[in-house]
Order: sequence, then C-alpha cells, then structure tokens
Amino acid sequence: MKKWYVLVLITFLSGCSSMGVEPWERDVLAKDSMQLVPDYFDNFYDEHIYFSKEASSGGQGVGGGGCGCN
Amino acid sequence: MQLIKITKKLGVASCALLQVPAAAVNAADSEWDIDTALLFYSESDSRVQAIEPAVYAGKNLGDDGERIDLRIVVDSLTGATPNGAHAISATNGAPQTFTTPSGNDSYTAVAGENPLDDTFLDTRVAVGADWTLPLDRLSRVKLGLNASNEYDYLSLGVSGSYIRDLNSKNTTLTASVAFNNDTYEPEGGIPTALTPMRAAGTGINRDGSDDDKTITDFLIGVTQVVSRDTLIELNYSFGLSDGYLTDPFKIVSVVDATGALADTGTFAPGTDNLPYVYENRPDSRQRNNLFFRVAHNLSDDVVHLSYRYFWDDWGISSNTLDLKYRFDMGQSYLQPHVRYYMQEEADFYRHNLTLDEFNAGSVTDISSDSRLMKFTTTTLGLKYGYALSKNSELSLRGEVMNQSFDDPGSARSEEETPDLDAIILNVAYSFVW
Amino acid sequence: MNRCISFILFVFIFFAQNSFATPSQAPQINLPGIEGNVQLEKLKGKVVYLDFWASWCVPCKKSFPWLHEIKQSYADQGFEVIAVNLDKDRKLADEFLQVMDVNFMVAFDESGESASRYKLKGMPSSYLIGRDGKLYASHIGFREKDKAKLEQAIKKLLAK
Repeated sequence: MKKWYVLVLITFLSGCSSMGVEPWERDVLAKDSMQLVPDYFDNFYDEHIYFSKEASSGGQGVGGGGCGCN
Repeated sequence: MQLIKITKKLGVASCALLQVPAAAVNAADSEWDIDTALLFYSESDSRVQAIEPAVYAGKNLGDDGERIDLRIVVDSLTGATPNGAHAISATNGAPQTFTTPSGNDSYTAVAGENPLDDTFLDTRVAVGADWTLPLDRLSRVKLGLNASNEYDYLSLGVSGSYIRDLNSKNTTLTASVAFNNDTYEPEGGIPTALTPMRAAGTGINRDGSDDDKTITDFLIGVTQVVSRDTLIELNYSFGLSDGYLTDPFKIVSVVDATGALADTGTFAPGTDNLPYVYENRPDSRQRNNLFFRVAHNLSDDVVHLSYRYFWDDWGISSNTLDLKYRFDMGQSYLQPHVRYYMQEEADFYRHNLTLDEFNAGSVTDISSDSRLMKFTTTTLGLKYGYALSKNSELSLRGEVMNQSFDDPGSARSEEETPDLDAIILNVAYSFVW
Repeated sequence: MNRCISFILFVFIFFAQNSFATPSQAPQINLPGIEGNVQLEKLKGKVVYLDFWASWCVPCKKSFPWLHEIKQSYADQGFEVIAVNLDKDRKLADEFLQVMDVNFMVAFDESGESASRYKLKGMPSSYLIGRDGKLYASHIGFREKDKAKLEQAIKKLLAK
C-alpha cells in the first residue's frame, strides 16, 4: 500500500520535463523569501524541538529553486 | 547532582542529519553569510526550559559554486520531564516516590501531580559543517559532518548528497545518505530494562556502563519549478535506527487488578522495589517519510505550505501540516505560522503494566513515554522581520505550542496525561561579513 | 516509460564555450536602449559581444566590471558590447546600472523575446558575433576562470 507513494514520485518526475520557466524568468524564484527554506534557524530550531517532543522526524533536505544562475 | 541525558529532553544532533538546507546566500564570493540566533523555549508547570544560542557562517569558495556552511548550536537546559508514571488520584493514596537515575536520591509526586524528574541540568554543544562541491554546471555533491556532545553522550555523523539539475534547472534531483552513531554512557550505567525501580540507596539493577545506536538515513527528492511564482518539493526518505533505542530512565507503572499501584509479591513493601519498571523498546526501528512542500508567490507576499506523512514499524504514523504566510511590507514583513501535527501511538505504548503481566514476563517491549502516545500538537506563531540594510535582517518570532494527548488507558481522569504547553521565542540577526 | 528514460538521459550542457561549426546569421536585436534604439544590424563590420543579464542575477554583477574592461581594451579594433537586460521591472535594472561603471550599450527587453531567439539556456549568457554579423560562439554563466578563454575568442574574431 505504501509503495505507491514512491510511484507517485516517479510519475511526478516523468511529467516534469514539460513544466517550468525560461532561465530569464527566475526573478521571483531568486527572492530570499521564495527559497524552499527561507528562515535557516527557524527551521532548524523547529525541527529540533519537534524531534524531541514528537515521535516523527525527518523528511526535509533538498536543493533546487533559486535563480539558477551560472 | 545526577544528570539525565539532555538529548532526550531537547533533541539529538542526529535530527540534523538530512534536514539542514542552505541558508539564503547574499554575500559576494569574498564574504561570509552569517546568521545568529537565540532560542528561548519554556514549558508550563516548571517543565523543560531551554536557551539555545546558535551561529551559522557560510561562504562561497570561488565562483564555481563550491561552498562551505558551518554551524554551532549550544543548548542549555533546565527543568523537569515526565518519567513515564502517571498522576495518582487522591483516592488511591499516598504520594508516589521515585528514585533518581544515580540511585542515590528520591523525589516524589503528590496525589494528582504528574510525576516529573527534575534532577538534571546540562549543556550540550552541537557542531555541523557542509561542503558543497560542483561537478559541472548542472550537478554537485554535498558532504556533511555533524557532532554533538554532552558530558555523557556523544553523537557523530556524516552525510553525502548528490544534486542534479535538469530541464534548464527547472527540475532538481537530490539523493542523500547519512550515517550517525550515538553513544550513551550515563553515570552509574544503564538500568536493566523491565526490572523494578529500587528505592533510593538500595542500588539500581544495571546492565552495563554504556550502549549505542546507529542511524542510517536515505533520501530522494525532486524540486520542480512549476511557474514563475511557484516552486514545489517532493521527498521520500527512509531511516533505519539500530541498537539501544530505549529511554533508560523512563518507567512504567505496575498496577494490580483494581488499577492501584502494585504492592504484593516482587513489589511488596519492604522488598526495596517500587511499583515501577524501567521501560524497554525494540532494538531496531524503520522510519519512512513522504514530504511535500510548495512555495508560492502572490504579488510580493509568499506562502509556504508543507505536508508530511510519517510511518514506521513501531506502529506510529503521523500527519504534519505547516503553513506560513509572509506579508511583505517593503522593508519589513510579518509572517504568521500555523503547524498541526497528529500522531498515532506506538504498538508497545501502554498506560500501565499489570502485575499479572509482570509476573508472567509476557511483555517484552513497553513504554509509557508520552511522546509515543496518540496526540496532537498545535502551534501558532508570528514572526516579524526587518531589513536593516540590503544584506542584513533582524527578526523576532514568538510561538505557542500545545500538545494534547489521547489517553484511553487511564482509568481515572486525574491519571490522564496532561496537556503540554510551551512558548517559543527566537530572535535572529543575519548579515554579511 | 520512454518519456521517463529520455528525461533521465537528458544531455547536460557543458559550461565550456559552445562554438558553432557553420555559423549562421545572428538573430536580430532591435531594442530600446538608454539613449535611443540599439540595433545589431547597424554594427555590421564590428565584433559584438552580446550579453544577457538581469538585476537578480548575482554573477551578472561580477561580469559588468569585466565588460567595461574589454570594451575599453578593444573598442579601437572595432569591438562593441551590448548588454541586454531581461528584468520585468525596469526600475530594478536602473537601480543596478546606477552603481555600475557602464561604457557600453545597454538594451532593455522586458518580454525576453530576444533571449528566446538566441535560445538562451542560462543566466547570464553571452554570444560572440563576428564582423559579418554571424554567430560564432555562445557561453553560459560567468566565472573568473572563463575570462581568459572569452578574451581569447574575442581577439581571434577581431583578427579575422
């Protein structure tokens, strides 16, 4: 039952090639507030607190977005 | 004064394994991006209080994308935490007496009071470093090291990620792996699981001086630019924890058929055994996460929404929903935040252990740790940020957190696990140097 | 499934210069500039370094001093620099230019149409156009270590 979640990821991938913007249309994505995690320590502290107060942890941690320069 | 492992009170360095994303990069190549922050965390009812200063420093090494990110966090904790036993109602009798982890002292909880162990005060230092090395214009690797230390606990970890851009950088794939090893050596040693807590001064049954656990984590993720205003992220992660996963000084109340604390047989008065046994958890745990996040821009405002589904082989599953909306006010911003978390209980979570079960030895894994219960955490917060200059910002964030437990095992309402309320305050200052 | 595979086998672009074996005519540029129009056609006979930039692009900031330098060095050999701005908000471009030493032509293309015609693959991107108006090379990104190579290519075209 849970394996289909991974299939979602793969299906997602194959559809990706048609989505997106041109390299010169990344002005909004370049904004600090549009990064996946704009507040470094907010996110760090929260993950830290909830790790010790709850039984779940993890899930985050990828790159991407931004201005895509160079 | 006996010290209890701080890490169980407010987190282990291993939580930072794969979860530390890049900070905003504003500095030119010759400059450092610096983030400084101070967290103040305080629970109600004289429970845990923590002060946590932290510093991040990051720098591009050249203009090819090579980068180093460093961080140091210091945790200073005080206060009390629940030991696993429950409040006893007035009709059930006398105050409950417990023995401290050293075995030398005792503490009590009167009728109706949630038993809390306050015999700890500790400081922990955690450091981490990441090095990003580009392989070519569209791919890079990121290597990470992390370590944290308390006087009786050491956690060491390494991580590696491969990141690849596709579709003119509209799509980014990430694959990560991380290993962590945690060693714990409590003063006096680790109590033997499922054996009774013995009265102060009579000697705790010990298993050995130390134990450790190994944690391995894997993550695959995709980030996709959907439009000029929208970015999404989808990850699947798998983690395996192996070794000593028990919370060594947490106990489970042993009760007789009427629900009162056991006082016959092994637990008869005079035997030096208190009616509690040390908990025991399985020595392995497989964790899974499915995580989705979207960042969406609406004129100048930005909304961040994330959802996480977690499940493991201890029977725990959870749903987390997190929403932040940033109102852009030019030089400043206001960002309300709401987080909603719902968790199912662990298979081996029990409100109590019965005397019959103890005598039969039929229960091998058991814990009354409220963190393994069915509960809901609701957090509401507000953050205010002010740009002092083009590359520096001062911000203040305040949040209130409530945990409310579903305690069907408790026979009487006073024995139910009480709500946990906490406030979180953090101030942060980021700049370029 | 095929889409999936072809997606995964995507050919990535090397950051090294991309030279054109049989150069074709460079796509037209006719855009508003700081003073009047900037027209590529009018620069036939000169070697043109065409650069696409935006205010939100950090490497673009670093490229400007170098553009100033090369314009100065080679202008007398018949060399021009055109920096085409792709900001959607002209104000941001003006703010950027205010703190820069600009001795070359700047053109503004809010729609990004010229970038499309040049099949731009990353920001910033630069193109070398010969005296015959043909496109000889393209380059994605701006890095310290690329400067020497780029300058070499310019000198070669000037010598032709």
